[in-house]
Amino acid sequence: MTDQRQEAVPVVPVDVDAHNSNSAASDTRINQAGGLQIQGLVKQYPHSDHPVLNGISLDVPAGKVMVILGPSGSGKSTLLRTVAGLESMQGGQILMDGKPLDRHDVGMVFQSYDLFPNKTVLGNIIMAPMLVHKRSKEDATAEAMRLLERVGLADRKDAWPHELSGGQRQRVAICRALIMHPRIMLFDEVTAALDPEMVREVLDVIVELADQGLTMMIVTHEMAFARAVADRIVLLDGGKLVEQSDDAEAFFTHPQTERARQFLHTFAFERGHHAQNLDDQA
Amino acid sequence: MHGAELLLQTSVWLRLLQGLWVTAWIALVSVGLSVPVGLIVGWLMTSRVRVVRWIMRLYLEFIRIMPQLALLFIAFYGFSRAWGLNLDATAACVVVFVLWGGAELGDLVRGALTSIPRSQYESAQMLGLNPWQTFTHVILPQALRRMLPASVNLATRIVKTTSLAVLLGVVEVIKVGQQIIDANRFQYPDGALWIYGVIFFMYFIVCWPLSIVARRLEQRWNHDD
Repeated sequence: MTDQRQEAVPVVPVDVDAHNSNSAASDTRINQAGGLQIQGLVKQYPHSDHPVLNGISLDVPAGKVMVILGPSGSGKSTLLRTVAGLESMQGGQILMDGKPLDRHDVGMVFQSYDLFPNKTVLGNIIMAPMLVHKRSKEDATAEAMRLLERVGLADRKDAWPHELSGGQRQRVAICRALIMHPRIMLFDEVTAALDPEMVREVLDVIVELADQGLTMMIVTHEMAFARAVADRIVLLDGGKLVEQSDDAEAFFTHPQTERARQFLHTFAFERGHHAQNLDDQA
Repeated sequence: MHGAELLLQTSVWLRLLQGLWVTAWIALVSVGLSVPVGLIVGWLMTSRVRVVRWIMRLYLEFIRIMPQLALLFIAFYGFSRAWGLNLDATAACVVVFVLWGGAELGDLVRGALTSIPRSQYESAQMLGLNPWQTFTHVILPQALRRMLPASVNLATRIVKTTSLAVLLGVVEVIKVGQQIIDANRFQYPDGALWIYGVIFFMYFIVCWPLSIVARRLEQRWNHDD
């Protein structure tokens, strides 16, 4: 399925500014087409010398998928959490269509299986629309069932979270976020805690959402998935934007920066090289 | 005459039931008031303000270290001497049991609240729930079921401890029992065993439903991880 999508996605017109990785970090121009704009974002914890995010600027055009890569500790999860409003920011701004981002427009799915254990699958999904949007139970249930249908879990609507597999829980978590009609969805390593066999079922759902034109920011370690789903790909390291590309394929095959080459190299295995490393250690 | 014949007198039963009512009233009011107190204390124990946490900790330790009887004497005799605050014996009991129940329940609430993972709060926040909705619809239901077994245990302890009220002169079920035994000492020398036996079953009848309700709820809620 991912291969099909790779062919189907038209190559995004390459913006010279955005494609030039050297200017990407300081790129603060307003995107007129709409979508999410992050400008000079700084995040620093009170008792720390180094900012976790050091002047991040990037755009996620409406309907596009941005994949954020980076080694652990590079600040990619913090970036998502700051966009989500779960972390305070010490500088910069986050805009949606030129106006400050309303947190109600953001949906998020986390790495942990964070369904509410005191509610059934359906109860998990319809709670927020009923409480926040004051929708009727019938109305919320009808939409919840359509969403469950889409992720193939309609028959599990009365199940309790602990009766579901990790992959099923994450698919329910996606439905729970979608029913609030977010304008942008954030996925924070949603498959990192899953068994390998369950990764696919979750990623397939996300790919389908991408095909439907949902704006998304995705942090992931699944490189094949990143390659297939990304309209725009960024590499973060040490709280800074190292490389940005509108061509996922080119990013993986011809990275522009040395840091990106190093990073991608950690995912490639060459037997000779590996053996030599072991020899070095011995 | 055989002591068991004492139990054939209707008046004995009526008086014991009156005593039981006093016991149950003190216990019910104490447990009932302990719940809101405990929720507030538990909430304060998780406060971000360190001084508030210390004060609550001090309160809890004080209540735990002091024997309940000493607390009762302080409330009944000490308050009137020190501040001219004349609590009647029943009120003194309720005050002490609420202070005790509130502290212990508060600690249970604190434990349950801190055991809820942060991702539960964050998920609720991301869905647009305000802090109050998050607390009432997501956090509290999970906290309640986690603290249920220990809370029922606490409630039964409060019911049993109401017997200390005798020492302040409250005529509750044990005192009534003593009065009946004393009044019939010559006629029914072995009446004590039978009267106390009845009292045992009365306590049992008060506490048993609590256990049943607790077990029912636990079964109904066991879908919680």
